[in-house]
Amino acid sequence: MGALQTLDSRRLMAGMANEKSAAGVRLLGADDAPILARPFYGEGPTSPIVTSLAQVPEMLEATMPFIATVLGPSALDARTKEIVILRTSVLLECSYCVKSHTVVALDSGLSRDEAEALREEAPVDGAFTDQGERALVAFVDAVAGAAGPVDPLVRSEIARLWGEPALVELTLLCAATVMLNRYCTALELPVTAATLSRLAEEGLA
Amino acid sequence: MSGRLWFYANYHCNLQCTYCLTESAPGVERRELEPELMLALGREARELGFDGLGVTGGEPFLVPGMAKLLAGLADELPVVALSNGTLFDGRRLRELEPLADRPVHIQISLDRPDPAPNDAMRGPENFRKVVEAVPRLVERGIGVRIATTADDPDSEEMARLCELHRSLGVPDEDHVVRPIVRRGRAATSGLGVPAGFDELDPELTITADGAFYSPFGPTVRGGRLDTDLLITRTVAPLRTPAAALARIVEGRPAGEDARLGIK
Repeated sequence: MGALQTLDSRRLMAGMANEKSAAGVRLLGADDAPILARPFYGEGPTSPIVTSLAQVPEMLEATMPFIATVLGPSALDARTKEIVILRTSVLLECSYCVKSHTVVALDSGLSRDEAEALREEAPVDGAFTDQGERALVAFVDAVAGAAGPVDPLVRSEIARLWGEPALVELTLLCAATVMLNRYCTALELPVTAATLSRLAEEGLA
Repeated sequence: MSGRLWFYANYHCNLQCTYCLTESAPGVERRELEPELMLALGREARELGFDGLGVTGGEPFLVPGMAKLLAGLADELPVVALSNGTLFDGRRLRELEPLADRPVHIQISLDRPDPAPNDAMRGPENFRKVVEAVPRLVERGIGVRIATTADDPDSEEMARLCELHRSLGVPDEDHVVRPIVRRGRAATSGLGVPAGFDELDPELTITADGAFYSPFGPTVRGGRLDTDLLITRTVAPLRTPAAALARIVEGRPAGEDARLGIK
């Protein structure tokens, strides 16, 4: 549970369930939460990833600490991680994750222009000037945007600019995001009204 | 891990009791546990240190081969099988005969000492069928217990009920009295006492839908399974839900022992 508790609150808040919204699967409210799922429910709304996984508590117990470890605070800063998560979610066409993580990306220091670029609404090179971040977007495009091997030149560029441990973690982050993208899309998890409202305020709905 | 491991053999029933935890009835989905699975889990339960097995439902004796299954389970651990007691004649009675003098008890529900109020809760002819079935089982050397489920039982009525079960051959030590639990159909009807995590003893319970904290856990209300006392969906190997239950029990605050102690 420790890993979950260290998960950055913005990341948790981004996916809060609007339990009145339609989903492709039953989302368990706090009153229906199985015993081992209860610690994952907070005082307020709980993420639909949690409330859906609660149907299989042993999967929830294994999955949430993993998600918290991979997507939460780590050796990589939040801005870098959100570039990977948002770009991957765009490539996988996960509406839930794109909307939720656009908000998290903004809260993690990305500009509106950068978010739009990651969402393929503007050129990446125009929004990102840092060589390492441009290489990062290219790397995500190679990992999540195509099947088969990743171009060794793209991979080695990340190792050169970010270091090999970062290459490993970025690859895992991208892969874990793909997993979540497919989970959230397949089950049609609902985006919270608060997230939709924030996106509208930012002109990013 | 000690205590009794429970199985929900099925969810369908030939009766439709007013306080049924699982909304069981003739037409509901059967959701049966495979006999081979129950036998395998019974073996693992013995290895893990459980000291008994329980079989409930639904009406377990609607499941073909139940008597043979109980004999197999009794090879591992003592067994108690809960029943409405309305099916013990003819072929089913003969099938039970090998259970004579085995560590198997059939726990039969009998709620009131008079036919009319008993049958109002449990169904037509229930009283007559039970008082006929119990002596048949006792005569054949099959262990029988009587379970009375009642809200605030009247002492005079209870005294007459005890006279009745003694007359049927069931001694006082094999008479269980328990409250109606406000889950399932009882909750819909506003009957019984509230029973959740804080009120119930931990007794690992295996169903077709997963493993639960207590046999009072896998209840059904409005046709939907309650999940508040679900532990894991994984039931085999048994050590998976058993370990999860052990973690829950270890994490339960001191002084929060079950209040109802319902068995």
